[in-house]
Amino acid sequence: MEKLAENKIIEELLPQKFGKQGQIWVISLLIVFAFGFYAYCRQLYYGLEVTALRDYVSWGIYISNFVFFVAISLVGSLITAVLRLTNVHWSTPLTRIAEIIAVSAIAFAGLIIIVDMGRPDRFYNLFTHGRLQSPIIWDVIVITTYLFISLLLLYFPLLPDLKILIGFKERNGKWLQKLYEFLGSFWKNKPAQFKITEKAVNILSITIIPVAFAIHTVTSWLFATTYRPGWDSTNFGAYFISGAFLVGAGGVLIAMYIFRTHYNLEKYITNEHFDKMGKVVVLLALIYLYFNINEFLVPAFKMKKSEEEHLMGLFTGEFSPIFWFAISASMLVPILILIFKNGRKPKWAFTAGILVVVGSWFKRFLIVTPTLLHPFLPMHDVPKSYMHYFPTWEEWAIAGGSLAGALLVITFFARIFPIIPIHETIIEIDNHEKL
Amino acid sequence: MRNYKIVNLFLFFTIVPCLLMAQSVEKNSLSLNLKYYNDNNITHHLLVQAKSKINGKFQLIPNIPVTFYINSDVTKENLLGKGVTNEKGEAILEIPPAAKDSWVKSTNQNFVVISNTTKQFDESRGDLAITKAKLKLDTLEGKIIIAKLVALVDDQWKPIAGVDVMVGIKRLGGLLNVNETQSFTTDSTTGGISAEFKRDSIPGDQKGNIVLVATIVDNDIYGNLSTEMTVPWGKKMIYTTNFDHRSLFARRGHSPIWLELLAYTIVVAVWLVIIYLLIQIKNIKKLGVE
Repeated sequence: MEKLAENKIIEELLPQKFGKQGQIWVISLLIVFAFGFYAYCRQLYYGLEVTALRDYVSWGIYISNFVFFVAISLVGSLITAVLRLTNVHWSTPLTRIAEIIAVSAIAFAGLIIIVDMGRPDRFYNLFTHGRLQSPIIWDVIVITTYLFISLLLLYFPLLPDLKILIGFKERNGKWLQKLYEFLGSFWKNKPAQFKITEKAVNILSITIIPVAFAIHTVTSWLFATTYRPGWDSTNFGAYFISGAFLVGAGGVLIAMYIFRTHYNLEKYITNEHFDKMGKVVVLLALIYLYFNINEFLVPAFKMKKSEEEHLMGLFTGEFSPIFWFAISASMLVPILILIFKNGRKPKWAFTAGILVVVGSWFKRFLIVTPTLLHPFLPMHDVPKSYMHYFPTWEEWAIAGGSLAGALLVITFFARIFPIIPIHETIIEIDNHEKL
Repeated sequence: MRNYKIVNLFLFFTIVPCLLMAQSVEKNSLSLNLKYYNDNNITHHLLVQAKSKINGKFQLIPNIPVTFYINSDVTKENLLGKGVTNEKGEAILEIPPAAKDSWVKSTNQNFVVISNTTKQFDESRGDLAITKAKLKLDTLEGKIIIAKLVALVDDQWKPIAGVDVMVGIKRLGGLLNVNETQSFTTDSTTGGISAEFKRDSIPGDQKGNIVLVATIVDNDIYGNLSTEMTVPWGKKMIYTTNFDHRSLFARRGHSPIWLELLAYTIVVAVWLVIIYLLIQIKNIKKLGVE
């Protein structure tokens, strides 16, 4: 009987081929990605001139996108590490979703930085001419480290599942079988192997938390260590981390709903998961709202001349529609939806997740761009295009392409590997039944 | 009655345009203030300042073309050179070596400056008469500064008494007193002054050199005379730079030791963990093969 139940779980959680919707999804993403790549080729050929980046706004939507990717990648440490170390077991089916979001996001965060540099060979200069005192170097180090740790955190729990996957030779096909065997043919379900894996995952869970905090704190320091209105804050590290946790959790809500609906995983990603994840998002949104109030109220209370122009631009000026949209979409409306029990039902939670993610993307744009348009010294004798920033189609295409790229990584991962850990789910259900 | 009308019309059409024209061509008067400068008894230059009273206030007038002449006669032979006043209303002319013949002719010297007619100003003239003089600067043992003023009287250089001389140290374009006295008056016997140097701690250049200056300012007879002398009386400046020091703002490879220790310790610690975990994968593999 137990074996039968186990087989059923395996059958239900094995990676599935793309259906018609899946194929449309993948083709759409590939088109967006290809278009972004074409725009990038144009940027390589003509230089950064094809962008709207100029002397003042030298960090536009590329860096906004970078901060967004770094932020969303933090979810890996939240779901996998924080909840694991605090003995929260309901998050088990969500760990792999969170980890693959983290891996794809951090990989594209690194790539988008190279895009922003203009000439990609300049990345090499970071290593040959970089200064240890510069937060940019810290960011390069910490992003690389976080990517490795996230990959390991994805790989170790995957080992027992690879053993299961290898067992379905006919279903897998030649290439996938080869891949599974390359990655996990040595896994024999030996207790010693489990012991090492468990220990490794625990070590990784402990290691990833400070590294995850470092990655986002260092990213915030890229801004906060420069003396500019809007960035000159001692609060920036905590402000960024809280925002990162929120957008990551919002991303997980979206992924949970899509995987649950399209792979028929209602038994594994249940309403209870949405309910609990919804509560987590409310808590994180409230924390982020608190930091936002700190970040804006304190300088607005003092209203120093240099800050005034920046803040008024956000509150009532050029950027006010985006500002109020970002605040409402990323925090206020999701709180209002998810605070109610019915709001934590899958569809509503999915809606709230989308609002959080979209609002958070614009929030990153607001962190980066308006400050650059309000330097301490007035802008004199510069072309009009220097005094405003609106991304060119190449920038939109590249940013969109990078987002599509990250989604493609997640999509292909879910096609190749079980998006819900099979072995851990079996153990969880087994333990639950024993209890 | 009709005759009056014709007269009135005649007056209106003749006088009113004349008045209007007269108003439009009315120009302000320009005042040219000419000054003579003797620098180190070697070079001489003239400075003219163009001023005009506009709206009840004297204002410095830029962009006025001026022509300088030596002697009182405005002739081609006496032409020294031309210039245009700058934004401070000033134009400067170095007296050229070509004017030497005119210069040595007499003990007193006249200069003239003429401004050209412009849309706003009529031609204007400024005159200056000076007696040729030299201001000599020297030092004595015990850091005593002496300055002597001599002027050309009856073809002979004779000491001049009763002229105020300022002695100072050249600092950032200004003069710093050498002691508590700012100005000294030349005596009747030698035409000299004596000042004790009391600024021992003043920083000089790398060799301790400072520049002493004796100067006579805006004297009605002799003009402006200034003489400099370099003496090693200052404190030697030891050039220090923090360019190569380790700091958060230093160049590559010069980060603070504490930062290097901290950063490298963290990086090494985390990567040791990663390497350890990679070794664990190898161990898992080994267990699978056994």
